[in-house]
Amino acid sequence: MTRILDFHAHLDERWLHVRCDTPAHAVDALDRFEVEAACVFTIMGFYEDCRPHNDALLRRADEFPDRLIPFATVDPKQGRAAVEELQRCLANPRFRGVKFHPWLQAFAPNMLRDTMLEILHVAAQHRAPVLFHDGTPPYSTTYQIAELARWSPETTVVLGHAGSADYVNPAAELIRDLPNLYGCFCGPRPGDLVHLVEVGGAEKILFGSDFGAAGWRLLPERIDNVLEAGLDPRDLDNVLYANAARLLKLDEHPLPPGTQTSSEAGR
Amino acid sequence: MGRPLKTIDGHAMLGDETYLSLRPAELLRRMDAAGVDLAIARPMGAGLVVDHRAGNDLVLTAGPRIRGLASVNPWWGPAALEELLRCRDQGAVGMFLDPLRQGFFPTESIVAPLLERAAQYGWPVMIRTGAYIFADVLAVVEIARRFPSVAFIAGFGGYADMWFEMSEAIGSVGNLYLDASMLWGDGIDEIVRRHGAARVLFGSAEPRNRYRVCLRTLDRLELSDAERDAIYYGNAERLFHL
Ligand SMILES: [Zn+2]
Repeated sequence: MTRILDFHAHLDERWLHVRCDTPAHAVDALDRFEVEAACVFTIMGFYEDCRPHNDALLRRADEFPDRLIPFATVDPKQGRAAVEELQRCLANPRFRGVKFHPWLQAFAPNMLRDTMLEILHVAAQHRAPVLFHDGTPPYSTTYQIAELARWSPETTVVLGHAGSADYVNPAAELIRDLPNLYGCFCGPRPGDLVHLVEVGGAEKILFGSDFGAAGWRLLPERIDNVLEAGLDPRDLDNVLYANAARLLKLDEHPLPPGTQTSSEAGR
Repeated sequence: MGRPLKTIDGHAMLGDETYLSLRPAELLRRMDAAGVDLAIARPMGAGLVVDHRAGNDLVLTAGPRIRGLASVNPWWGPAALEELLRCRDQGAVGMFLDPLRQGFFPTESIVAPLLERAAQYGWPVMIRTGAYIFADVLAVVEIARRFPSVAFIAGFGGYADMWFEMSEAIGSVGNLYLDASMLWGDGIDEIVRRHGAARVLFGSAEPRNRYRVCLRTLDRLELSDAERDAIYYGNAERLFHL
């Protein structure tokens, strides 16, 4: 079995009225399914003022710095203040990437082109990948997200769902055509993964689960979706581990050592 | 949870569509590998959208372990009804409509004659649901209200980003069922807990999804034996009159 990094998970207190897993519960799930680490994003920070949510996410992730890798988010509707908040977050090496959910955050990238260009530029300076929810109109179609990769060729842009339900074929073609566009295989199914790897290339597809938004079961379900595609061992390792390790620069900057295990944290 | 007596796949796809392709022989091979006894299949690609004779023949002649849902484009008008009659005589067990690929709102007047025909034949109607305008889950609820004697199955369960309408939708009418082929475990579990296992059918969405993924998703839920049997085969036997 190959090593696993999860490039798309959530870590928050709640999603609207539904309580979410604690950091210890999240790490407990990672342990059970042999996932080494997960990139974790806010949920309520997409609805509310980002800054306190970035701080809260960092605090939660810092309970298990060897397992939970926080991605910051900012509200591009705030213009200059959003760019400054991103600089503030990325100055801390714990934040290894940026996450946007344009339909929850209520903007189409094209409405805020200047701010988005600045944001993409700051991310590129920090060599931080920028992951966007994709596959859903009216603000997050896969084509809309791919435009950002065209605007800023020096920035690594990740389609957060590799096309999701209905944009898998466009995602595969765009990932093939744009060198700085990647796809997080998070939601689509084994038959889709075969196509994404065939067309987009196994070095451009990264595993993600979205767990933390719904319960722990999402993690093994989404690992199954990768395993059942029947990829060859080299492609499987790229998708489950190596591509994420490369984008997160784990060789250059290993994750800090852990201070506790999930069982010690008392759950 | 032990294994059920038998397993019926409520939603497989045959034909060619974009990057997906599946023939009856390969579906049977996958059914055998997964221990699936019977699959309900519908056409995909050209056989679904324009070439109904070919699409329907593919799913209706794949038997005896593959039973077919007939599909017609409502825009065909009277020719669609003739095709449904032909399919019934060939042993179709229900109807499949894809408002997104076939281009109509489920509530449009051109659809009503097809639904009347389904009522007359005692067929359930599976309708693909999802994020795209024509495939709106709530439009299916609307026709379920207008045709209370027809069982409607929400194909793909609103996958992906309309999943959050599914549970309320099933709660708001008595004749709407979930095709669990594309929904995640917690989404399925919520519907079972709130509305009962009688409203959920195991489906595979092969060749997009895989039997092993769907079966393991259900196996992780804490289902009673009665719930498990309903989802794995009982509901399908009842709705498709198998
Ligand atoms: Zn997510």
